[in-house]
Amino acid sequence: MNIVVLVKQVPDTWSERKLSDADHTLDRASADAVLDEINERAVEEALLAKEAQGGEVTVVCMGPERANEAIRKALSMGADSAVHVSDEALHGSDAVQTARTLAAAIGTLESVDLVIAGNESTDGRAGAVPAMVAELLGWPQLTYARKLDTDGQSVSIERESDAGVATVEANLPALVSVTEKINEPRYPSFKGIMAAKKKPVSTLSVADVGLSADEVGLGSAPTQVVSSAPAPPKEAGVKVTDEGEGGVQIVEFLSGQKLV
Amino acid sequence: MVDFSLSDTERDIRDWVRNFVQRELMPLEPEVLRRERAGERGLSKDELAELRDKARQAGFWGVQTPEEYGGMDLSAVLTALIEVELGRTFVPFSFGGYADNILYYANEEQKQRYLIPTIEGQRKSCFAITEPGAGSDAKNIRTTARKEGSEWVIDGEKTFITGGIDADFAMVFAVTDKDKGADGGVTCFLADRDMGWKSEPIDIMGEWDRMPASLVFDGVRVPEENVLGEVGQGFALAMQWIGRGRYLLPARALGGCERLLDMAVQYSKGRETFGEPIADRQAIQWMIADSAVEIEALRWLVLQAAWQVDSGMDSRHAQSMAKLHGGVRANEIVDRVMQIHGGMGYTRELPVERWYRDLRLLRIFEGTDEIQRRTIARNLIKGHASIGGVLG
Ligand SMILES: Cc1cc2nc3c(=O)[nH]c(=O)nc-3n(C[C@H](O)[C@H](O)[C@H](O)COP(=O)(O)OP(=O)(O)OC[C@H]3O[C@@H](n4cnc5c(N)ncnc54)[C@H](O)[C@@H]3O)c2cc1C
Repeated sequence: MNIVVLVKQVPDTWSERKLSDADHTLDRASADAVLDEINERAVEEALLAKEAQGGEVTVVCMGPERANEAIRKALSMGADSAVHVSDEALHGSDAVQTARTLAAAIGTLESVDLVIAGNESTDGRAGAVPAMVAELLGWPQLTYARKLDTDGQSVSIERESDAGVATVEANLPALVSVTEKINEPRYPSFKGIMAAKKKPVSTLSVADVGLSADEVGLGSAPTQVVSSAPAPPKEAGVKVTDEGEGGVQIVEFLSGQKLV
Repeated sequence: MVDFSLSDTERDIRDWVRNFVQRELMPLEPEVLRRERAGERGLSKDELAELRDKARQAGFWGVQTPEEYGGMDLSAVLTALIEVELGRTFVPFSFGGYADNILYYANEEQKQRYLIPTIEGQRKSCFAITEPGAGSDAKNIRTTARKEGSEWVIDGEKTFITGGIDADFAMVFAVTDKDKGADGGVTCFLADRDMGWKSEPIDIMGEWDRMPASLVFDGVRVPEENVLGEVGQGFALAMQWIGRGRYLLPARALGGCERLLDMAVQYSKGRETFGEPIADRQAIQWMIADSAVEIEALRWLVLQAAWQVDSGMDSRHAQSMAKLHGGVRANEIVDRVMQIHGGMGYTRELPVERWYRDLRLLRIFEGTDEIQRRTIARNLIKGHASIGGVLG
């Protein structure tokens, strides 16, 4: 079974993250960049499926040259090879263009059975790319999986949403996006780290995946970020000391905020 | 001319440890502080063993241990980088799979009984040279060993022995030929606790993980097959043990300094006095700037010493410099960081005072500041080292 994992390099949630003042895109220089935690879980799930069913795991990543660090991390966890779409023209691409690029990159691979992605990245958090990729590939999409099972022919997930948990099943090929509940990712092993450098990574341009430069990037993005502002600092909360009136005070506070 | 960058693999290994520290160790910090303040061990032995197992499952075990013993056999530079990362937390952790360098001089039979079980974590060693009357001048030790039949009988007292509380064997140094002294008259013995030595903990300024013990040898009988190396050649082994990685002590302190300065920068941005954040005050900025420069200098003293080790050069001079600079500067930095935190820095709510107490040791053990200066000056005066450093 051949599995593709979509991975993204994001600013470390441990460091301070900000947008660039010039074009409201992510200021990648301002924070440490790491493989997105949700993608570590996606890689883990792919490795578990491979360990059960055999086959190969390929990571597909779109991002600047520096994203090769995130790719190496996925390879050191145990993925077999990688495709890195890296092109100046991609700067500022929105969710639609990203999905188009990733779908095109997947199209360059032979016989993919399953695509696994994180449900949403910890930076952009649009949560739209996996569904769009599935749509562009014309495959079933099984999103928000907290559990994944596959026998090599079909895939079944537990889909968790605010409304509840549903079991969803599809024949392969299909795309699954996973939530942070899916698993605890393994640490890359020392041997894995040493081996990662030797695994094949093909670096492709926009043209290599069959798109033209004016279809991607900030200039032609269907959505635009018009302005951005840092989140206001948290204000000190109200402390309620319960002297018999605590419950009433809390209800008053909540109704004052129109929360109840 | 000089390339200061890391290779991809070096970076990945360093980042792995950084991630492990963030995910596994830093979350334990509040609990470790709480326990230490209640006079308990920061990490129980079981917790430490569990963390070590977790790292071992990913192959992080035996950082400098040769591959034939299952270790990673990493370079000195990488080992230093790993120590820096571990130093970023005060949670007392080190990777498993370690054995003292001089145990590798053991013969085959001793390796089975001491070296391998120590690497595997089944046995625990301690290194015992210092005595109440012999610290910096270790050549002056008075503990004796006399031969009776096929046994050696050891009498004397050792003090400040790290790990002496719960070690199950000691690498103990004793005089076997008084006339020859350190030059051919000191021998190293592998003395099991159940051969009869006793230990007594010594209460110190630092926490549990630092707590040393005094060891009493009162007619302790050690079989002759427990001599490590050759009879009379012990002092050279002692010097090798002490020199095994002097660059690693300041490496760990460096990690602590990086974290502390980071805390100070964050605190100075949030703390307002007279209507402005203290970060806007020159007095505070100068403390931050001086600390950053000293940290940078320390980083390269440490890594350069490690690089000399990897290059097979005589690195002793560089190691002394790194140890001296690390001890002195780390103490100045933690003092400034405490100053920037004001009263909060002095409380036990923050770990600054813990680091303050811990880092003080670096100026004393494994060669005091004064002894490092003595070594450095002598090397220069005698022409063993160049003021121009490795570039000559
Ligand atoms: C927590 C801790 C753990 C330790 N762990 C171990 C261990 O595992 N094994 C072990 O064997 N030892 C251990 N030691 C002992 C340590 O190595 C000695 O304390 C150290 O070498 C200094 O010796 P001393 O305490 O006898 O001081 P002294 O040698 O008495 O020195 C006192 C002062 O005089 C200065 N001084 C000494 N000689 C000179 C000189 N020639 N010129 C100028 N100044 C001089 C010193 O620098 C120091 O300031 C440990 C010590 C501590 C505190």
